[in-house]
Amino acid sequence: MFPALPATPSPSARPSRRRGRHAAAALAAGALVLTACSSGGGGGGTRGEGPGSDKNVSSNYTIGTAADSKGPAPEVPGARKGGTVGVLQRDAFPHLDPGQIYYSDVLTVQMLYNRTLTTYRVDGKGRVTLVGDLATDTGTPSDGGRTWTYTLKDGLKFEDGSPITSKDIRWGVERLYASFETDGPQYIQQWLSGEGTTYRKALPDGPYGGKHLPSSVLDTPDDKTIVFHFATPHADTPYAVAMPSIGPVKAEKDGQRKYDNAPFSSGPYRVGDHKVGKSLTLVRNEHWDPATDPVRHQYPDRFEISFGHQFGDSTRRFLADQGSDKAAMSFTNAVAPEMTQKVLDRADTRGRRFDEVQPYVDYINFNTSRLKDVRVRRALAYAMPNGQIVQQMGGATAAQLAPNLLSPAVDGYVPSDPYGKRAKPAGDPSKARQLLKEAGKEGQEIVYAYPNTDIQQRVSVVVTQALERAGFKVQRKEIDSNTWRSAISDTKNSFDIYRSSWGADWPVASTIVPPQYDGRVIADGAQNYSHLDDPAVNAEIDRINAIADVKRAAPLWQKLADKILKDDAPSVPTFYNLQFSLWGSGLGGVKYHTVYGSADPTSVYVK
Amino acid sequence: MTTTPAPFLTLRDLRVQFPTDDGVVKAVDGLSLALPRGRTLGIVGESGSGKSVTGLAVLGLHDPRSTRISGSILLDGQELTTAPEPALEKLRGARMAMVFQDSLTALSPYYTVGRQIAEPFRKHTGASRRDARLRAVEMLGKVGIPNPARRVDDYPHQFSGGMRQRAMIAMALVCDPELLIADEPTTALDVTVQAQILDLLGDLQRQTGSAIVLITHDLGVVAGTVDDLLVMYAGRAVEYGPVGDVLGAPRHPYTWGLLSSVPRLTSDVTKPLSPVPGAPPSLLDPPPGCPFHPRCAYTERVGGDRCRTERPELPEGRGAACHLGPERARALFGGARRTGTGGDRP
Amino acid sequence: MLRFLVRRVLGAAVIVLLISAITFFLFFALPSQPALMSCGKNCTPDALAVINRNLGLDEPVPVQYWHYVVGVFAGRDLTVGHCPAPCLGYSFSNQQPVWDTIMDRFPTTLSITLGAAAVFLVAGVGLGMIAAAFRGTWVDKVVSSLSLLGHSLQVYFLGVVALAVLVSGLHWLDNPEYHPITEDPVKWFTGMIIPWLVLSVIFVANYTRMTRSQMVEQLAEDHVRAARAKGLRRRTVFFRYAWRGAMTPIVTLFGIDLGSLFGGAIITETTFSLHGLGRLAVTSVSETDLPTLMAVMLVGCTAIVVANIVVDAAYAVIDPRVRLA
Repeated sequence: MFPALPATPSPSARPSRRRGRHAAAALAAGALVLTACSSGGGGGGTRGEGPGSDKNVSSNYTIGTAADSKGPAPEVPGARKGGTVGVLQRDAFPHLDPGQIYYSDVLTVQMLYNRTLTTYRVDGKGRVTLVGDLATDTGTPSDGGRTWTYTLKDGLKFEDGSPITSKDIRWGVERLYASFETDGPQYIQQWLSGEGTTYRKALPDGPYGGKHLPSSVLDTPDDKTIVFHFATPHADTPYAVAMPSIGPVKAEKDGQRKYDNAPFSSGPYRVGDHKVGKSLTLVRNEHWDPATDPVRHQYPDRFEISFGHQFGDSTRRFLADQGSDKAAMSFTNAVAPEMTQKVLDRADTRGRRFDEVQPYVDYINFNTSRLKDVRVRRALAYAMPNGQIVQQMGGATAAQLAPNLLSPAVDGYVPSDPYGKRAKPAGDPSKARQLLKEAGKEGQEIVYAYPNTDIQQRVSVVVTQALERAGFKVQRKEIDSNTWRSAISDTKNSFDIYRSSWGADWPVASTIVPPQYDGRVIADGAQNYSHLDDPAVNAEIDRINAIADVKRAAPLWQKLADKILKDDAPSVPTFYNLQFSLWGSGLGGVKYHTVYGSADPTSVYVK
Repeated sequence: MTTTPAPFLTLRDLRVQFPTDDGVVKAVDGLSLALPRGRTLGIVGESGSGKSVTGLAVLGLHDPRSTRISGSILLDGQELTTAPEPALEKLRGARMAMVFQDSLTALSPYYTVGRQIAEPFRKHTGASRRDARLRAVEMLGKVGIPNPARRVDDYPHQFSGGMRQRAMIAMALVCDPELLIADEPTTALDVTVQAQILDLLGDLQRQTGSAIVLITHDLGVVAGTVDDLLVMYAGRAVEYGPVGDVLGAPRHPYTWGLLSSVPRLTSDVTKPLSPVPGAPPSLLDPPPGCPFHPRCAYTERVGGDRCRTERPELPEGRGAACHLGPERARALFGGARRTGTGGDRP
Repeated sequence: MLRFLVRRVLGAAVIVLLISAITFFLFFALPSQPALMSCGKNCTPDALAVINRNLGLDEPVPVQYWHYVVGVFAGRDLTVGHCPAPCLGYSFSNQQPVWDTIMDRFPTTLSITLGAAAVFLVAGVGLGMIAAAFRGTWVDKVVSSLSLLGHSLQVYFLGVVALAVLVSGLHWLDNPEYHPITEDPVKWFTGMIIPWLVLSVIFVANYTRMTRSQMVEQLAEDHVRAARAKGLRRRTVFFRYAWRGAMTPIVTLFGIDLGSLFGGAIITETTFSLHGLGRLAVTSVSETDLPTLMAVMLVGCTAIVVANIVVDAAYAVIDPRVRLA
């Protein structure tokens, strides 16, 4: 389930062209910022301000009630209808088919034309509420959390005015079983029909062959009700059905592969014109009823999204703030690093920028198969120069020092700091030396692997220096960035330490801790890069996962994460990526989407 | 040669100078001559003696920005040195024309022979494209190109050297000019072709009665071709007279020197001519007195410093610019034309 | 002339075919797997196999190449339907036939390249001729040194400066944008001005310098003097005789520069946020989109080869001595 993609540097720090989406991962920290991660905290009161404020406020995350799920969304003060919003994006959207969407640029745009069973209401101040979107609420569990029932609201329509029924949701879910649907998340399919790719056997051609999942798996007793029957309890279901793939697809409009270029809208906007790879124009969907929608508005007449704008280009345009660029924004383009200071210095950018924590955490993993002495690993954790790594990533506007394994963007986050990273951002070499001495491992040799990207090469220099200051002998191994992920996910790899990055798929740490630190998921290609296999940890993971109330589980995850970091030291977190966004002065209502890590267009208006 | 008709071309004290960073190059330094219609004047001299510069000066082809011209050039009584460019353009190709030494470089490689011949005809007569083309064919026939109607569309590189030179003569003569300046027209050609071209020039002159200036460094060429001969040295005329007189009884040691090494028609024309020991003088800083004196074997005969200090003048009519004077010259150089390389060195 | 063209075209076809084969096989030598691109965050060997089958990548490489070449000439049936000749394949990244993508992007690159080439050719030759006509005067000096200004600059630098000054600073022009000339010639023109200007400033120096020196050389040639001796006007001689001779090396240079413009399209298009073949090449590499990459290579090579043939033909038109050779 999660990406970890080490090779790509943070988006704001490296405005280079897109690297291989493969390793999709790569994107994790990366370019397209990823996934639906979590929620929460993010930046509280820091909107629109420059760097330097402490963003590690604890999350403010709730699951909304049925009342919260009712439309319409409260009017944005001062908002007016009309106008065209320009959107400048660096990379073309890899997908529009909601079933293929996983990364933050497309997560963001799909909000405009795709509705899901549940969705996130973000208030721009860091508070996130999960609400029913198509559904009247966030779902009703039964059978000990194995069965989840959703009821659709009244008045839901597709862009052609035809009603949205539970059959359309079923079609949307079943088409995820078709062999061409490979890029999107697979939680619901796997929970319904089997782990790995075995779920595809349940419906090999998706719904296209005329077959459907049995009602014992996915049931639509009437046009308004859809029931998921999972094999095991899943308390996270309300989040899982907020993913773009769990929404309605009208069978007659389903062009299968070609649906990727022309999705059929259920949201406030529909595809007007799409020049693949160049531009996408979204126009008002007259059949969208605001009374059914608790989060979206429909202020502008259209969104004109164009691709190919390097960060330097979009930043220049927003700074110049001229002509049509006045009413332009970007979902995920960051301020170009070389223009950061200029943006901060210009008084007129105040009120039209934000710099917020994204849901990714960067780690340096310690290979516990090779570094068996925990004292050595703890010494490494102490020695790691988090502050200097942040500098290499582009400084305080691009990254923020990470003190523990979780992200401020997940529910239950507490800024605990077991290795004193905030007090000693350059590392604590004397503490590290002392630990090495105790272990009798002074002069311990460390094989340090890193991908051959510009940024990682620079990072490798500061890391090496810091480790050597602490008494390690470092042997650096540069790896081609194209093969990086497979190199480190080989469980027999011959490296001691290597970077990875992680973003939760929703704002709960159940998508952070288990995939990375559960000893039972160690496998080639999996994300437990440190190969930690601690029975106590495994047991605690099972215990927390079984808690039906995610709110009650949240603080327990943080506790477990801190225990892992302190006692097992399988890795050390280094930094959180920040999204530093700027937009034209002619727009209002731009806010940070804490979960997607991007600029939220749903309440934007042209002044 | 007995009567002297009114001159068609008259040069009076012509000076052509090229200012350079190192000083002023006096390429032509006070040249006077007169040429009537129907006659041919040969101008001979080593390279750098000012022959070609004189020819170009008559047509006004020197770049005015880098050239100073003084004195007078009269064409049929019209002063050319002060004439405006448009007036000169009307004369060039129409009343006066020029044939250049190397037909390969003097014809543009990019246009057909016919077009290049027809061009001045159209320009000066206003003829139609068709008439001009017919005229080009006629001219090519006149200069002896076989099958002219077909060859008229050929490019210069498709012609042999001799044919190209004929074509260039056709180009020069297409408007029946009254003055033709032929600058080394045969130098690049082999000997048999050389003779044909010279014959052609003579034939054409007989038909049109034009005045011809034949510039060459080769006395062998002038012998049977020209009426009068002008010998130039260091930008000045040093001897002038009817060709028979000059060649038969030279009055200037330089002319004598040139004669001493005239190649026969049968000898190797590619052999460089070095008639007189020593090098031509610098035109930037010519020697005082007689410019030839550093190379002259006869300064002792003149006696004293006269050759070094006093510049000899060329008299009107037959004569030489030499302090020796006609009598002593006749005694020294004899009346007979010498052969062989050695001179009579006292 | 016809034989010359036939020979050149045949030679070009061989070159294009060779390059296509090299591209195809090199692609498979890359460390990255095309299937990984479509595999999402949770990629397993099973999932990869599914995708490989989807993409037709499960066959041996030479077989795949053979199908490709046959498809170009005869069309082929793909899993998404029949693809008529010339079939350049179907892009699973863009979810459309590659031909459509190419037809969409090629005009942009062509507009940038040919437009800029026309501007710097005319401007360079024009300035060079002015400098030659007034050689040695202040006009010559001003023109010659002005033209050198952009010579050592790069597109990505000058382009960004031009955008910052002309668009963001002075607001004289809008951001570069491509509009099809068939839809709106005025917008097409105004949208291209900045790329043309920038490329021209960079490329013009060579043309000015070479035109000037060639003209000066030609003006001293015998045939130019001979033309003047015929009574032709100075201007006629300048334009008809000297210019013609000066153009042959310019045409050669132009052919080379057309090639480098195509090659430089990646940087140009990135700098100006335009969507042409250069951009397409970059994305198709990063997305390991083989059919698109192949098509870009083929179209790019063909364009360069055609440009060379045109230049050779132009050379023959200008200089009759080349014609029979």
